[in-house]
Amino acid sequence: MLSVDIRCDLPDFSLDLQFQVERDILVLFGPSGCGKTTTLRSIAGLVKPDAGRIILDGKVFFDAAAGIFAPPRERQIGYMFQDFALFPHMNVQKNIWYGVKQHGEAAQEMYEKLLGLLKIGHLGARRVGQLSGGEKQRVALARALMAEPKLLLLDEPLSSLDKATRLELQAELMEMQKLWKIPFVLVTHDPDEAETMGGKVLFLEQGRQVAAKR
Amino acid sequence: MNGAANTLKGLYIPAVLGLAWLAGSHFSLWNSYIIPPPAEVAAAFWQISSDGSLAKHLLTSVYRVFVGFCAAFLLAFPLAVLLGMFSRLSAYFDITLEALRHIPPLATIPMLILWFGIGELPKLMIVVMATFFPIFFNTLHGVASCDGKLVEVARSFGLTRREIFRRVVLPASLPSVMVGLRLGLGYSWRALVGAELIAASSGIGYMILDAQQLSRPDLVIIGILTIGVMGTLIDLLFFALTQRLIPWKVGESTDYGRG
Repeated sequence: MLSVDIRCDLPDFSLDLQFQVERDILVLFGPSGCGKTTTLRSIAGLVKPDAGRIILDGKVFFDAAAGIFAPPRERQIGYMFQDFALFPHMNVQKNIWYGVKQHGEAAQEMYEKLLGLLKIGHLGARRVGQLSGGEKQRVALARALMAEPKLLLLDEPLSSLDKATRLELQAELMEMQKLWKIPFVLVTHDPDEAETMGGKVLFLEQGRQVAAKR
Repeated sequence: MNGAANTLKGLYIPAVLGLAWLAGSHFSLWNSYIIPPPAEVAAAFWQISSDGSLAKHLLTSVYRVFVGFCAAFLLAFPLAVLLGMFSRLSAYFDITLEALRHIPPLATIPMLILWFGIGELPKLMIVVMATFFPIFFNTLHGVASCDGKLVEVARSFGLTRREIFRRVVLPASLPSVMVGLRLGLGYSWRALVGAELIAASSGIGYMILDAQQLSRPDLVIIGILTIGVMGTLIDLLFFALTQRLIPWKVGESTDYGRG
């Protein structure tokens, strides 16, 4: 279970947010600039909140009162971005293996399983520049899951895709979540996407939760 | 891309100019002292090629460019990486570098001669000064504009700062670095010839000046053409190197860095 209770003082307002998510999908929904991405970055350890606590499965990532701040590399978190953030100088296969620490049979099995599930088996040798948007995001998903994260953060993962691809990938993301059984925290400003994906949706405005759907 | 056909297209203009030169000299459209006929230049070229003096001057110049270029790289690259990765440092360097950037290397020659005589050192320093800034600013630009998201991905995968530099920042900035190296090489070659015009006893620049004093325009023309041809060859070499080192950029960037 991921439990978040943080305060971040941003230039224009203060982000103040509490939520918990089991092995399920939580959607953070709200207009741009409402603090969604800052929340994800706090969970990943890329920014340090000003107060509060972040705990994943009993492991304390951040506790302002106790002075605990685990660096990103100790958190085992997968992170996906809207613009994919794939490494342009590597081919698909190398990108997917990027976060793997122990190469072995288990990792190879996982790799083949992911390629099969995401239908990207034929792309291994391609360069990132030769992929379509949907393919790129599938590769990014495979890369994130290959590192065996305990939690996956998705920052507007489908916003730059066309509608058909977006619907397809929504289904795939939900399927992967069921298979992997880890919490997904997904940020979006698309109400339809929030509706479809969210087991639980938090509506944010100016750094505060204004509503919730369970 | 259609390489051979494009090379051929590129040779049209030199061929037309060459023909105009040939025809103009043949029909005496100009004084043969002001523009010596191709045959005379070819004869002079043959002569200084066979007695080895052209090769000697050329080697001297190439050697100076090579040493100066390497030295400039060793200075500019680490400094640019340092300032690119630790942007707080740049406040200390900005004004100094900006002021130095505007000084043409050739303007420093009188002081260099005063301090270091007319040996190899001042010429190498000219090359270093001319090469430093293109390498420095392009590397800095490459490092500083590396996609922050890529760095964040690497951080959340648990890479250390050093690994992030080697596996993310360096590959991402390599295209810019190559542009810098290519521009730097062009600048250094030009600056060097200028330096040799003023204070040298060998090198292509010296050869041109010497020919001027001996009233040998044919040798001057050979010198000028040699500079142009050498510059083009070095640039082509660099282009090939760029394609090998950063193949993922080929196609979107085959022309960049042409200075």
